[in-house]
Amino acid sequence: MPTDLGSLLVQLFSGLSRAMMLFLVSSGLSLIFGVMNILNFAHAALWLLGGYITFSVYTALVEHYGVSFVFLVPAVVAGTLALFAIGLAIERTLIRRMYGRELPEQLLLTFALILIIGDLIRLFWGVQNRRIILPIEPLPILGTFMNPYLFVIMVIGLVVAGFLWWFLARTRTGKIVRAAVYSRDMVSALGIRIPIIYGLVYAMGVAIAALSAGVFLPIMPIGLGLDMDLIVQCFAVVVIGGFGSIVGTFVASLLVGIVYSFSILIWPGGALAIIFIILVAVLIWRPWGLFGTEMRF
Amino acid sequence: MENYEKSHGWDGLVKILERSMGRRDFIVTSAAAGLLALTPRFVRGATNEPYRIGVLLPSTGAGANYSERPIKGLPLIAAEINKRGGLLGKHPIELIFRDTQTKPDVGAREARSLILNEKVKTVIGSWSSAVAMAIQEIVHEYKVLHLAATSNSSKIVNENYTPYTFMFGPNSQMQSSATVVAVSRMIKEKGWKNYVTLGLDYEWGRDAQRVFVEELAKVSPEIELKKELWAKLGETDFTSYITAIMGLKPDFVFGAIAGRDNETFLQQAKAAGFFQRVVYPGVFLPVTELMQQRKTLPRGIVGINRCPFFAHMDQPLMKKYVDLYQAQFGKEDYPDDFACMYFDSLNGLDQAVTKAGTVETEAVRKAMTGATLDTCRGKLTFRDCNNQLDCASYLGEVVDVPEYPFPIFDLKTLIVVEGRDIWLPADCEDVRKLQKKRA
Amino acid sequence: MINGLYRKLDLSIRVLLVLAILFLLLPLLPGRFPLVVGTEILILGLLALSFNMIYGYMGQISFGHAAFFGLGAYTSALILRPLIEAGQLGYLGFFLALAAAVPISALGALIVGFFCVRLTGIYFAILSLAFGELLFYIVFSWYSFTKGDDGIQGLMPPFVFKSGVIYYYFTFAVVGITALLLRKISRSPFGYTLRMLRDNQNRTAFLGIDIRRVMLLNFVIAGAFAGLAGALWGPFQRSVSPALLGWHQSGVPVFMTLIGGAAHFAGPLVGSIIYTALNAYVTQFTSYWPLTIGLIILCVVLFLPGGLLSVIDIWVHRGRKADT
Repeated sequence: MPTDLGSLLVQLFSGLSRAMMLFLVSSGLSLIFGVMNILNFAHAALWLLGGYITFSVYTALVEHYGVSFVFLVPAVVAGTLALFAIGLAIERTLIRRMYGRELPEQLLLTFALILIIGDLIRLFWGVQNRRIILPIEPLPILGTFMNPYLFVIMVIGLVVAGFLWWFLARTRTGKIVRAAVYSRDMVSALGIRIPIIYGLVYAMGVAIAALSAGVFLPIMPIGLGLDMDLIVQCFAVVVIGGFGSIVGTFVASLLVGIVYSFSILIWPGGALAIIFIILVAVLIWRPWGLFGTEMRF
Repeated sequence: MENYEKSHGWDGLVKILERSMGRRDFIVTSAAAGLLALTPRFVRGATNEPYRIGVLLPSTGAGANYSERPIKGLPLIAAEINKRGGLLGKHPIELIFRDTQTKPDVGAREARSLILNEKVKTVIGSWSSAVAMAIQEIVHEYKVLHLAATSNSSKIVNENYTPYTFMFGPNSQMQSSATVVAVSRMIKEKGWKNYVTLGLDYEWGRDAQRVFVEELAKVSPEIELKKELWAKLGETDFTSYITAIMGLKPDFVFGAIAGRDNETFLQQAKAAGFFQRVVYPGVFLPVTELMQQRKTLPRGIVGINRCPFFAHMDQPLMKKYVDLYQAQFGKEDYPDDFACMYFDSLNGLDQAVTKAGTVETEAVRKAMTGATLDTCRGKLTFRDCNNQLDCASYLGEVVDVPEYPFPIFDLKTLIVVEGRDIWLPADCEDVRKLQKKRA
Repeated sequence: MINGLYRKLDLSIRVLLVLAILFLLLPLLPGRFPLVVGTEILILGLLALSFNMIYGYMGQISFGHAAFFGLGAYTSALILRPLIEAGQLGYLGFFLALAAAVPISALGALIVGFFCVRLTGIYFAILSLAFGELLFYIVFSWYSFTKGDDGIQGLMPPFVFKSGVIYYYFTFAVVGITALLLRKISRSPFGYTLRMLRDNQNRTAFLGIDIRRVMLLNFVIAGAFAGLAGALWGPFQRSVSPALLGWHQSGVPVFMTLIGGAAHFAGPLVGSIIYTALNAYVTQFTSYWPLTIGLIILCVVLFLPGGLLSVIDIWVHRGRKADT
């Protein structure tokens, strides 16, 4: 096991970037469940769709105007906005009918969405893996090299976390959203239309996921079936952190990311087992998660 | 893919589905959508009794990317054979495709469906070895031929052997041993002392790594395995592994990574400066990867694959495959390793049937056992104790060449490791000891 | 008189009778594939029935139920393989394999259930999912014992059971008996305690009933029956793989129960017929099977709330309440 400080610090950075990746994908899931009590099983599938849309927009821009980092920005924005709109549409037509229905029925519906979205992706984009290629040079740091784009991801993770915090704590809409978590009826009684709030929250959660997919494109190819692998990790992080708590999701992502990163050095095959052990331990000791509200239980 | 073109009519329907609508509209449109989804799934033959072949490959999920070219190309080869009337000039080939969904149970059920409903006499596939082995049980029970290529666990021809399965590509053990040949040379040349392995934690990865480590220890006993790293299948973030390996500073790294994870790893490793600090010989680079990663693949690394068209363009059959494929799909696209091996399996079946003089399965099976066939890689023979084709593994340096729009292995330094030189067990008697009994 | 008797029976029994007749007559259909599908329907139907003990009767969702199915499958596989290898496969070995699966999966359910019954609602669901994934991971990784994600191949039922027809009727008999057993349990005082627990945990506790014990007992019974289903599955498919324990497989009994109707005893069985037949035949018509199945599930969830049997129940309009 490498023990020089440089290597350890770089390992820590890689853990942080993994943490931010997890946070970006899972925060929307946590938000949606926390506010609407809906387990959005299709979250990773919508994430994937956002990635594909970003890919298409970027590729179109590059074909016309040549390769440039800058084009990633409108592409990511396009993906985010597209999924915001799709999220609104899905909430309005399908999710809305699931309020008050049993948990397994929600899951059945969102699982059907996974199948449908996955196949629509196959229909429109085909089976080949897709990738974005940005000219990234490795960054010499601390006696070794690192991918500088990881810092971009970390920054974006922090920005999104900050945005969510600001939105929920400082804006009027955000406060209404938090109030709706505690008492749907009271918020209704105040004359605020809950369906609009729910639509907004669902669309936001899904849009954040799409944003993260677009942001990750420069460092990994996307393809069919990627959502299946990801959704289980998302659930683990959201559960460990506590449903509905963005802080919890953030902390859980950090925990999972860093533990994973260092466990590679200590117990090579066991990284995944460690995550599950943490998950099971949390569920047994504190089922509502590290930062979840006991009321939810 | 044939279906993709047909289903562009989906566009309009899908837009309708996305609007919110009333219950009746939804039902009507869903029913209409269901009807339109009814697409004919097979290439129809002529009036003579057709010879039906089931093709079991994934068209959804992670394996679809690597099964696309075989699926696109096999009908072309079948059409060529059908031009002269089919097998023996009188049995036109009908191909029926089924998605294995990369699930062993689904593979087994689809195999049964093909055999019992569609009356296929031969099954071609699959991508995942676990699925292939589940299918082996079915073909063994129903006495149906099974031609395998992409799925290449050595267990398919050794432990799980059935006389009905024929392997048309180098198996996982052969590939690992071939890598040992190349790497041991490099160890001598460069005086390497230690290494690290990084593998995907599933059967193929574990197997490939284990064989490499064991065989390398025999040939280069002085080399030290510093650490074994294992990543989960479907890993999207290799950063921690990359930084860990760079921290360990090994002389070289052996990777047992395939599929999309392979591309993910290569992309992330390159951006992290991995290839500037560590040598990474023997990465699995089928033509699929060479084409898809043409812009990012680090040049100069040593890769391995199973049936690269560029190494055998002098072979008439390989040239024919490329010509047929490109006539349909354009000059930019080439048949990858998997496509070529599956094309060989169909042609091989043709030759075995001709040799047997009948399409009757037992006769064809006997004709194929131990047979020497014309393939795109030359005349190759089946090992009669386990139906493993004596085919080569190809190791080379990734270089750009003017002939092709993507990098290939440098033909000047290409290492071709023949199957019979390295397959294990070396003795047919030992092979038979491995083969399990069935009820 | 028969008419009068028929009227007395509730919907589920009627459905079960009709289904029993249909299942008995299935081999009359042309070809051997319907037998394959029929056997799958029966075995997965048992899995779904066992799941509904936890969901419909106890009111909790187990998302890791397939783990016990998989444990049963692997138990029977690990017993059968050495026998086949030694050429000693006989009726005794086969029934031993089936019988051994029950206590093993019951033990697994005991351990998992011990922790799960301390929670309710979504937390019960997620913990069961986590344990299911943990068990999957153990089977996946323990190469030396379970052969990892290779799976175990070369399984086969002995002698006459090799025949598709015989194995089908054998499965029908086993599933039929266990279904009747489950029905008996659901109609026993224990069963009614479960329903009471489902409807109001607090009141049940106030009656002095040890909730945890009752829930755990039910969980173990459900796990045991799932294990039996798994033990039938391995020899039928001729192989087992770790996927049998994963969340994908765990979702199957959930879907079946919801499609058929959780509020009716026969619901999971009806759901199994629909879901299994759909999966088995849809690929003959289209390669876009996820889209097709996804749309069908969507329609079922939106337009058949409570499942097919609930809708039939309302249609038939006898004014009967759900029989659970």
